Amino acid sequence: MSTRKYISRLAIGGICTAVALAASACGAGGPAASTSGTAGTNTVNVLVEAGGHAELTGVAEQCKKDAGVDVNFVELPYDGMFNRLSSEFSSGAVSFDVAALDSVWLPSFKDALQPIDEIFTDEAKKDIFPSLVKEANVDGHFIGLPAWTNAEIILYRKDLFEDAKNKADFQAKYGYELAAPTTWKQYQDISEFFTRDGMYGTDVKGGVETEWLAHVLQAGGPMILDENNNVVIDNDAHKEALDFYVSLTKSAPAGAAQVDWAAAQNLFNQGQTAMTRFWAHAYRQIPKDSPVAGKVGTAPMIAGSAGIGGVPGPWYLTVPKATKNTEAAKKFVQCAYDHNSMGIESSLGLASRISAFEEYQDKEGYESFGPLIETLNGEATATRPATEKWQQIVDTVLVPMLQKAVAGGDSATLLADAKKQIEDLLK
Amino acid sequence: MRVAEKTTHDAGTSATAAAAPSARPAVVRPRRRRGVNREGLEAGRRGTRTLLWILLAAAMVLYGFPFLYLLFTSFKTPIDTIAVPPTILPREWTLENYTNALGRNGVLASFINSIQTAIISTLLSLLLAVPAAYGITRYKTLSGRIFIMAALVTRMVPPVAIGIPLASMMASMGLSDTPIALSIAHTTISLPLSIWLMASFFEAVPKDLEEAATVDGCSRLGALWRVVIPVVSGGIAVTAIFAFLASWNEFLFALLMTAIRSQTTPVVIANFQTQFGLDWGSMTALAAVYSIPVILLTLLLQRKIVAGMTLGAVKG
Repeated sequence: MSTRKYISRLAIGGICTAVALAASACGAGGPAASTSGTAGTNTVNVLVEAGGHAELTGVAEQCKKDAGVDVNFVELPYDGMFNRLSSEFSSGAVSFDVAALDSVWLPSFKDALQPIDEIFTDEAKKDIFPSLVKEANVDGHFIGLPAWTNAEIILYRKDLFEDAKNKADFQAKYGYELAAPTTWKQYQDISEFFTRDGMYGTDVKGGVETEWLAHVLQAGGPMILDENNNVVIDNDAHKEALDFYVSLTKSAPAGAAQVDWAAAQNLFNQGQTAMTRFWAHAYRQIPKDSPVAGKVGTAPMIAGSAGIGGVPGPWYLTVPKATKNTEAAKKFVQCAYDHNSMGIESSLGLASRISAFEEYQDKEGYESFGPLIETLNGEATATRPATEKWQQIVDTVLVPMLQKAVAGGDSATLLADAKKQIEDLLK
Repeated sequence: MRVAEKTTHDAGTSATAAAAPSARPAVVRPRRRRGVNREGLEAGRRGTRTLLWILLAAAMVLYGFPFLYLLFTSFKTPIDTIAVPPTILPREWTLENYTNALGRNGVLASFINSIQTAIISTLLSLLLAVPAAYGITRYKTLSGRIFIMAALVTRMVPPVAIGIPLASMMASMGLSDTPIALSIAHTTISLPLSIWLMASFFEAVPKDLEEAATVDGCSRLGALWRVVIPVVSGGIAVTAIFAFLASWNEFLFALLMTAIRSQTTPVVIANFQTQFGLDWGSMTALAAVYSIPVILLTLLLQRKIVAGMTLGAVKG
């Protein structure tokens, strides 16, 4: 048989197989049901952002042993997950029984989620960070169990901080000992000190808003909205935080307006910045071949006049009202609470229970947990405002405003403009 | 050539023209002038050719460099992939990214799903586009013209606007998370373009061919099947490639409509970018592997594609 004929027959065979598979409505991913499981079955589909999948893998295995619940994961990229959730919740037919939701999405989907009050026992409430207990409670019911949480802490170059010459030079210049910063002033001084010889003291992230919001909390303000949903972005705390944020640009790489999480993480892992304020999980994700591997120290988020303040970044396990498999779904959520510490062994390495973090904080490789616990328990730490418009506020007002500010815009004018824009959005 | 001929003609008539006060000196020395023109022409051609080569090389670099960069990045170590400033070639070559990417759960299944979805979508597109385009071009009715314009208008609707309703429809029909649902969705993207492409190919086929087939005893459908389709087979190959690529690379509908059983590779590739970091190495490795079938398919159908592209080029 000639090669051409062989290829043709192979192609026809392939096409026939594909058509036959399509006709039987089978995909290659497995035999699982495409819509949420039928009532009474012990199989649940769990929708999860790709980065969080590993966090729940161990839990799923344990849940099968303990409760006999089989778990299929539906893994999606972060950028598309909100659209998918909107689409399925609005249609009323969901393809999952449990969804892991970013905290900022809870207000948007609260009406499509079932209460899971029974999991929030008094004991559980004591073992979950207070800000998360508050955030999970919407309109008097708990609608999400924090599966893992995160917060920004300080990562710094331990080798540079412990260098005898650096210590002496710093002491001579600033009059106090070089150590991990605890205040805004120290952070500014250390950033300035290390900005030399092609290196920078820190980064300034103009492309993301969370870090500036943490400084707002440290300055004593509620973020953006007060408890009555009044827009307070133009108050003293916001201005003080913005001025501090912008003041660091002189000790940071150029182009701060475009720096986002990925860029800042790259700069630090490449050894180009001496300090960064970054999500705690990044400590365990420093590549082994990075020039800074093994040379990084951790500290709690810096404190302003109101004390240590950070913005938690939890993900909540939720059960949609439209699932046909509520019982098994809730069993899985309970398993996730019971075996919460298993997430710490995953590649992301996070948990949500205080006891889980405490169990690991003194172990080698988990040095970021102590500072993370301290930051999450910080007196000024608070979650983001519970408004459905939050993502819109971030994308259309906060990030553009920060980008203008780090590029040299007048902070008072920018905050006043932002206030008007947010008020228009919330009308 | 024309300049040279004109010069020769001038030379032949120079004797009669010599008396004329407007006679030019060039006429007196035709041989030398002809030589200058030839050299000038050659130089001009060389210049044009060089310019074309430069433009071609620039276009190749423009299109090829991102792919080459992707390919090189897939062989870099983790720290090398995020180097600031970035390097083109890996400092140290590694296959670790391929091991990570291909070892990831669900990757093989997603490949099969992508192939399955793209084949079904391509077949559906051709099955609908070929008769539709043939009817429109051969019967030339007002409704046909309105139809083909309407098909074009559907291309102007952003996919996200129809993605969510389409996903809801598939769910209500019990088809969510099936390759057939995604194939139908992909066909909505490729069908309008397929109809337009096929219509232009059918336009290039002379009606006389069909009439001759009819005289020889073919029915209208027989003429279409035995005469017209073989003539436009190059065009069908081009259309098939476009339809295949539209489905192969599609992301949004795959994101909205697939879950466990039918998730395609573009969604899996996107999953390497998470809220907690971006795994450049694995992402580029999987993207490189995913581009192989398309490259092979294009090479396999290269002749047909070229034939299709030039179909009708000599018409008139």
